[in-house]
Amino acid sequence: MSYENWLNYLRSAEKHSMISGHCRKMHYKFPDGQQMAEEYSMETGIVQRRAWRKCKQLMGEPEWEVELGETPRQINQGLGGGDADNSSISNDFTLLESSSSPVITKRITKKNIEWRIRNLPYPIQVYQVTAEPDKRAIVVRTTNKKYYKVISVPELDRCNLLPSQANISTHHQYNTLIITYSKPTLLNEMEAQVLLLLKNVETETDMEALLQGLLAK
Amino acid sequence: MADGDKIEVRDITRIERIGAHSHIRGLGLDDVLEARAVSQGMVGQKDARRAAGVVVQMVREGKIAGRCILLAGEPSTGKTAIAVGMAQALGTETPFTSMSGSEIYSLEMSKTEALSQALRKSIGVRIKEETEIIEGEVVEIQIDRPATGTGQKIGKVTLKTTEMETNYDLGNKIIECFMKEKIQAGDVITIDKASGKVTKLGRSFTRARDYDATGAQTRFVQCPEGELQKRKEVVHTVTLHEIDVINSRTHGFLALFSGDTGEIKQEIRDQINNKVLEWREEGKAEINPGVLFIDEVHMLDIECFSYLNRALESDMAPVVVMATNRGITRIRGTNYRSPHGIPIDLLDRMIIIRTVPYTEKEIKEILKIRCEEEDCLMHPDALTILTRIATDTSLRYAIQLITTANLVCRRRKATEVTTEDVKKVYSLFLDENRSSQILKEYQDEYMFNEIQEVSDCEIEPKREETGGGDEQPMEH
Repeated sequence: MSYENWLNYLRSAEKHSMISGHCRKMHYKFPDGQQMAEEYSMETGIVQRRAWRKCKQLMGEPEWEVELGETPRQINQGLGGGDADNSSISNDFTLLESSSSPVITKRITKKNIEWRIRNLPYPIQVYQVTAEPDKRAIVVRTTNKKYYKVISVPELDRCNLLPSQANISTHHQYNTLIITYSKPTLLNEMEAQVLLLLKNVETETDMEALLQGLLAK
Repeated sequence: MADGDKIEVRDITRIERIGAHSHIRGLGLDDVLEARAVSQGMVGQKDARRAAGVVVQMVREGKIAGRCILLAGEPSTGKTAIAVGMAQALGTETPFTSMSGSEIYSLEMSKTEALSQALRKSIGVRIKEETEIIEGEVVEIQIDRPATGTGQKIGKVTLKTTEMETNYDLGNKIIECFMKEKIQAGDVITIDKASGKVTKLGRSFTRARDYDATGAQTRFVQCPEGELQKRKEVVHTVTLHEIDVINSRTHGFLALFSGDTGEIKQEIRDQINNKVLEWREEGKAEINPGVLFIDEVHMLDIECFSYLNRALESDMAPVVVMATNRGITRIRGTNYRSPHGIPIDLLDRMIIIRTVPYTEKEIKEILKIRCEEEDCLMHPDALTILTRIATDTSLRYAIQLITTANLVCRRRKATEVTTEDVKKVYSLFLDENRSSQILKEYQDEYMFNEIQEVSDCEIEPKREETGGGDEQPMEH
């Protein structure tokens, strides 16, 4: 099984779990000092958000790096959206991408991994989305040289798969480029195994019913 | 706020100012550490320079911690010049902190805190770290200053690589960095996202034909490829003090820019020492001990000296170079006298380099170098007269006459400074000897001359506590 490493890594972590609303939140503390947080939907068992806190050396507390899901939006972030006289806020940042620049978000559904790149106004012919196995990533290029992004797919890395062009489909609508990557079966298998692993972590509600429903499908 | 604005504008297009030691570019030694007669702005003092060269070698090897070197000699015999030369010879990689003895007396922090900050500023740590950087060619840069002159500046920059283009909004701190580096469209730059440090890599090849005339140092580089934001393993050279400051506050590195650091708790220092040692064992970091130079070291008091005694024993201590022009004098804060105003036990831990007064020939050489540095063309006769003045009065006075004579010469629209110009400024500006001569002659006509007599004996004991006997020049 090629995802054994990842499972072992998760097993080695100190895990905490809680349920709030419709999601189960997991917190992992790995022996190498890294931390990971996940949010699972209670209805589907799909992971909605995942973030990492990796160790930095110089600065005191490291920041959370979002791997999956929306970045939590901060109120008044940046220039405060035209609120020019609010100078105390604009004082604090060193450098910010302007609000009109493309933003990428990632989402996992039952069958697919999806990326949405918002603020891309160019027509669909401009984009070239290719799987590049030697980089272990999907690369988005634009023929007008306005946007370029190497998207790494950590899920595929975890089960030692390489991205393949056949699984990719793209769609452009409302200034948004949507890249869909259909999940290989091995990845689905891994996700089910992870859920099985998480079943044993103590939490306030029972995960049994949820799992039963999932395995039945 | 118009004033503040003016200062800022001047800051951007700063011309290089000429300081007292800006003509010094190194120690002027050859490969086997022999001093050349005139080299890299240094003249004479061969023995002292050779000794300093050995010290530089010791620092470069980086194995010895906590050694102390004293540069002792009469006033204006080139002690500070040798220290500056050492700093230049060590290069920018090795931390060299220069401070004056009286800098430690501050109301904001205690003397020992100031000293330990100075000691920690002189220890560099090279850390390998993966950081997020932005690397690209500047397409457009726009910095707006509000019409009123006050308030925040607003900056926008467009960066591109061969593949993409992005707009960025600039924060206030980074605008300053952009102005300082004089970034313009066509430059290839990197920005360290965490610290906001901007570095200019060169100009883009595509802009090579924008101007016919480019400086000799202009480097042309390719426009970067791929994504603008990259993760790169970079090697930082930071000082222990900087790590202290970053970790002592929540908004650490902002405090580093603003400069107000206050006192740092000992626990934080201990933690950081342990951390750095840990990194070193893991091979992540390398300790790069530098040099702390304390000028006018006789201005330190007995508490500082005993603190230094202890601090130099730590294996994290830098090499400390001190300079003094005092003979046997009172140690500040005590009633004891000691050579150089430094306690014997500390002197015992030092190696002492002596500087000797310059010969007439050497003085002439120095004056010649200073003339070049100040872009002043001087007639040989004028230079001879100036050398004569320097031997009779002092070298510093003669150096100051260069600038003034040059101005006088330019006022009569001549290009070369002649003897007349030198004579004129010699009569216009008094040296210390002539001035005190006048004071002695006309003592009675100046104000408060009688009170002076009485107060002299009254102030004397008080001065022992506060002043470092600055009024008693040499006690050889």
